[in-house]
Amino acid sequence: MFALVDVNSMYVSCERSFNPRLKGVPVVALGNNDHCVIARSDEAKKLGIKMGAARFQIQDLIDQHNVQLCSSNFALYGDMSARFQSLMYNFVEDVEPYSIDEVFLKVDGSYDTLYPSYQGLGESIRNTVMQWLRLPVCIGFAPTKTLAKVANRIAKKNPELEGICVLTNQAEVDTALEQFEIEDLWGVGYRYAKWLKNNGITNARQLRNAEIEWIRKKMTVQGVRLVYELRGYPARLLEDNPLPKRTISVAPSFGKLIPDLTNITDALTTHLARCCEKLRKQNSIARHLTIYLHTNRNRKTPGRPDLASKQYSASRTVKLPFHSNNLIDFLPYGISALQSIYQFGYPYQKVGIILNDIVPEDNRQAGVFADAPTPEQLELGHVIDGLNRRFGRDAVYVASQRKDREWEMVQGHLSQRYTTNWNELLVAY
Amino acid sequence: MIDTIDPIPPGNIWLVDPEKRLPIPLYSSTVQAGFPNPAETHIETRLNLQDLCVQHPDATYFVRAAGESMIDDDIFPGSILVVDSAIPIRTGSIVVAWVNGDCCVKRFVRVGKMITLFPSNPAFTPIYVHIGVDQFDTLGVVIHVVSKPKKWNQDQLNTAVEHVRTRRRKQHVREL
Repeated sequence: MFALVDVNSMYVSCERSFNPRLKGVPVVALGNNDHCVIARSDEAKKLGIKMGAARFQIQDLIDQHNVQLCSSNFALYGDMSARFQSLMYNFVEDVEPYSIDEVFLKVDGSYDTLYPSYQGLGESIRNTVMQWLRLPVCIGFAPTKTLAKVANRIAKKNPELEGICVLTNQAEVDTALEQFEIEDLWGVGYRYAKWLKNNGITNARQLRNAEIEWIRKKMTVQGVRLVYELRGYPARLLEDNPLPKRTISVAPSFGKLIPDLTNITDALTTHLARCCEKLRKQNSIARHLTIYLHTNRNRKTPGRPDLASKQYSASRTVKLPFHSNNLIDFLPYGISALQSIYQFGYPYQKVGIILNDIVPEDNRQAGVFADAPTPEQLELGHVIDGLNRRFGRDAVYVASQRKDREWEMVQGHLSQRYTTNWNELLVAY
Repeated sequence: MIDTIDPIPPGNIWLVDPEKRLPIPLYSSTVQAGFPNPAETHIETRLNLQDLCVQHPDATYFVRAAGESMIDDDIFPGSILVVDSAIPIRTGSIVVAWVNGDCCVKRFVRVGKMITLFPSNPAFTPIYVHIGVDQFDTLGVVIHVVSKPKKWNQDQLNTAVEHVRTRRRKQHVREL
């Protein structure tokens, strides 16, 4: 048996966890410089606020219903997520963190002695997460991961189940799949959903009964796995050691439109430092560096709302002569790439970085003609990471970076980092 | 041209990099000779405050105290409270709780369905929580308090210095 435990509207729940004033009122979390909605409470969903809606579109609703706004506090969400995942080991041994708010558990018969039923285990998990972290969760139990996803969704959609749905007997699975829309299924994208519907398959039960060979031809082996999973044969197993990422990308928008190269270079340096940090975290090194730059596509010409403003976007990929995870190695290439694509006279919205050709650190080959980084230089990066972890982000940075950042993200409604910063603790009177 | 009787195969020729020289210890493993260090079996890991204060790392939060309402329980303004959410709250526990959204640290007392939050400083009044009317949420039980020792003010310092001086003078007089 598998279980999927999922935190209900994670970001909003984390904010509520440390601020009960937000309970029972509509709350939205804003991302991307406070421009768009990235999470909503149930109350906000009922008001008709859509995911990804721009702030100006919902400004009337915010004023009318006094919707509470939170800038995304990723330090808090990340720490609460880590606590949530680690807490699961108190119940089972096999845990797969799937995303920031979801974990898969492998629930075997050996737990029967402690918890007489899956329902009982589910209630215990739910109550513990509520007491320890003050986060509401939904849990779906089923024989396969895909069915656990289905069960979790049913638990979420039906409040009378109190957050727990166990799919064990065949009749229950049948009715559940019958009512399950094909496009809501895990692993069925927009295109496959369209194709399946054209072929008369609209719910999950019909897909389960589809012929394997026919599915294999169109949906490849992934589709076959999906059908087997729906039939109750586990084809996706628990992955407790996630593979290192093969691409790393960082591209937050500027807080306002930035026209000049100096500020863009400064932003690039900071983003590149983040990328290198991510690389080192998974002990990898990369070789291909892509820099891209673009203006705001939705912007209109000032004074002429009917006319789109002039747009510019460009990108450039550089292949380094060696693999590295050190900012000092990437930076000169990054800056020359940026200089080559930069055009004067446009208000830019974003500079982005993509790192490719990522291999493990110990696969490193010393260059013959190029001065590849020595093991000491690679170690230096880890030392810098250690210092930044201990003394706060940007304790050590490259001298060319500026302290006063014009381009930085706007976060007007940021809550405190209650669990990760000594200066921002909860205060009790 | 150098003639050699036994030519060295090219595979055996390489450039030695003095930078890469590794110091190799004389003995790679120690040989037990004589008396072993009697303290060796008694070496333990160094004490860590985290182990003392935190039982459930996933459920422990640090909270900063403010105000003087709990001063008789040694909770001073600026003290760091170690709060454990996994411990069940009983009557008499010091808790961190929210009453209508305001966060406070008080002693928790439940009689029947009535919840009252008691301060330990007699200058403050208890908070009566009306279930169903007031919004009441708890963070957890305070299991440790971390505070810096109090600093003496100038008067206290002067008194102490004066005390030492007078004592010395008396001693001096006695010796005479």
